Amino acid sequence: MTDIASSPACTASRRAFLTRRNREKWMAWLRPVISISVPLLIWELASRLGWINSFLFPPPSQILTALWVQAGPQGRPPYAIFYHVFASMMRIVIGVGLALVVGTVVGMLIALTAWGRAIFRPIISAIMPVPTLAWTPVLLLVFGIDNRTTITVVLIATSFEIIYNVVAGLDMLSKRVFWVARSMGASHTQTFFKVIVPGVLPYLITGLRIGIGFAWRALIAAEMLAASSYGLGFMIFDAAEYFNIDIIFGGIMLIAILGLLLENVVLGRLEAATIKRWGVQVER
Amino acid sequence: MSAEPAFKPRLAAIPDPGEPKIVAEGINKTFINRENGEEVVAIENLDLTIRDQEFVAIIGPSGCGKSTFLYMLAGFEDISAGTLSMDGHPVTGPGPDRGIVFQEFILFPWRTVLRNITLGLEMQKVPRAEAEAAARKWIGLTGLTGFEDAYPATLSGGMKQRVAIARALAYNPEVVLLDEPFGALDVQTKFYMIRDLQTLWQEAHKTIVMVTHSVSEAVIMADRVVVFSARPARIIYDERIDIARPRDALDPKVIDRQREVTEVLSAEVDKQMRREAGRNPLGN
Ligand SMILES: Nc1ncnc2c1ncn2[C@@H]1O[C@H](COP(=O)(O)OP(=O)(O)O)[C@@H](O)[C@H]1O
Ligand SMILES: [Mg+2]
Repeated sequence: MTDIASSPACTASRRAFLTRRNREKWMAWLRPVISISVPLLIWELASRLGWINSFLFPPPSQILTALWVQAGPQGRPPYAIFYHVFASMMRIVIGVGLALVVGTVVGMLIALTAWGRAIFRPIISAIMPVPTLAWTPVLLLVFGIDNRTTITVVLIATSFEIIYNVVAGLDMLSKRVFWVARSMGASHTQTFFKVIVPGVLPYLITGLRIGIGFAWRALIAAEMLAASSYGLGFMIFDAAEYFNIDIIFGGIMLIAILGLLLENVVLGRLEAATIKRWGVQVER
Repeated sequence: MSAEPAFKPRLAAIPDPGEPKIVAEGINKTFINRENGEEVVAIENLDLTIRDQEFVAIIGPSGCGKSTFLYMLAGFEDISAGTLSMDGHPVTGPGPDRGIVFQEFILFPWRTVLRNITLGLEMQKVPRAEAEAAARKWIGLTGLTGFEDAYPATLSGGMKQRVAIARALAYNPEVVLLDEPFGALDVQTKFYMIRDLQTLWQEAHKTIVMVTHSVSEAVIMADRVVVFSARPARIIYDERIDIARPRDALDPKVIDRQREVTEVLSAEVDKQMRREAGRNPLGN
């Protein structure tokens, strides 16, 4: 096989193949860049040429400049963008981390114990249809304008997806998987760490991906109501008070970019290392 | 249980039956149907003695209780009445002295071929290097060489079943239980598996109980063929197959035996169908 591959006739066609693959790879990058930058360019032109109201729709270049200024020492406060991004990210990380613990424990109790099912199933079915944001006024009364309010919003938004997927994952683990483990002489601890945890992991990751999407949207909205000084939601809300339209649009852009990074890059990596590598299908 | 038996291929002639290994006396199994609360008698007053290192094939109409019987041997299902013992001790639950292979493979998708096969030894805290050495031996014997690092999702059905078989043998159980191991494979794959694995069963020096619905599988592979009646399962045929190995599907002695077993089986299936038609006056 190796000598065929290294024969001169084959090398040429392989090089052609490689460049074709390279081109495809470039196109995969280029396509989204084009589909985003063309509308931005049209917007830029339309705003500068006065086709649209340039106060309500400032050109993208002005939005980026405003972001740049706010990210630097001239920002109000200096380096403001970093504080806002950090505040939102911190709330997401802590809230999702808590949801991971709460969701996994509750999901396992529901799927593996009769009493867990009896207690949590009805509660969850009753609470699940409530939009996360509807809790914000209650949380505001309990915690006040405080990180605890926004973190709890993230926790609520993420937990249900995680619970749902952990339960689904455990239900999918067939009785026979446990039988195989037991006929290998597995102890309860071994069954938990070598069978249950890896078996549920793909579902947990799927729950996490969807949950983070919900949480990000809910967090930004909650920050508009319940953040005292920092956070992207607060930044937009605050900018609206002062008619800083460029900062509003800049905030929206940042939210889009960070959301994309969270959902696709961070979780995409996690999925590539588990679900995709194992070839596991997660039904949803 | 600790040391692997030396690899002396069995004599081509069928060995004399050894000491009784598994003894079932007056076994009954009754299920309660979850939906209508009716009792389903799956197995009634069944006696069967399986001897050490005997390869017994169990065959019978579908739904007659073959899997149920095998799961009782494995310790997955309790017996409703009677006694079931292995080496003189009652069977009370699953254990690493009995390996199991299911029709649906039940592999661990998050583990590579090698890691699936070492899992039983890992559960028994065998050092990794030792576990891998044992696994590699079975990988060689089941024809999986070169697939050690593949994930199950990338394998064909036949290869998956080889992994399941190697996995059940690797932790060195005394008894291997096979529930329709070739039932999910296409005819071609099944043919090659049965042919390739003929020597494996001999070299493994195990007591083997295989449930199957294929008469030719039973006659070609086993030392002894047992036919179960329609539900509730009783034994209606129990004969040794004294044909030297390797066996050829076209050998007249094999064909003779197949015809004999087929006659017993089809008479039983007919009887069952008439009974069912009698129970249902429309006959559909
Ligand atoms: N867990 C169960 N609950 C109720 N009925 C069962 C259960 N398992 C098996 N049965 C019934 O027992 C009978 C024998 O089943 P099984 O042993 O799977 O048959 P087969 O010979 O095809 O392997 C069938 O009628 C089946 O419906
Ligand atoms: Mg069956």
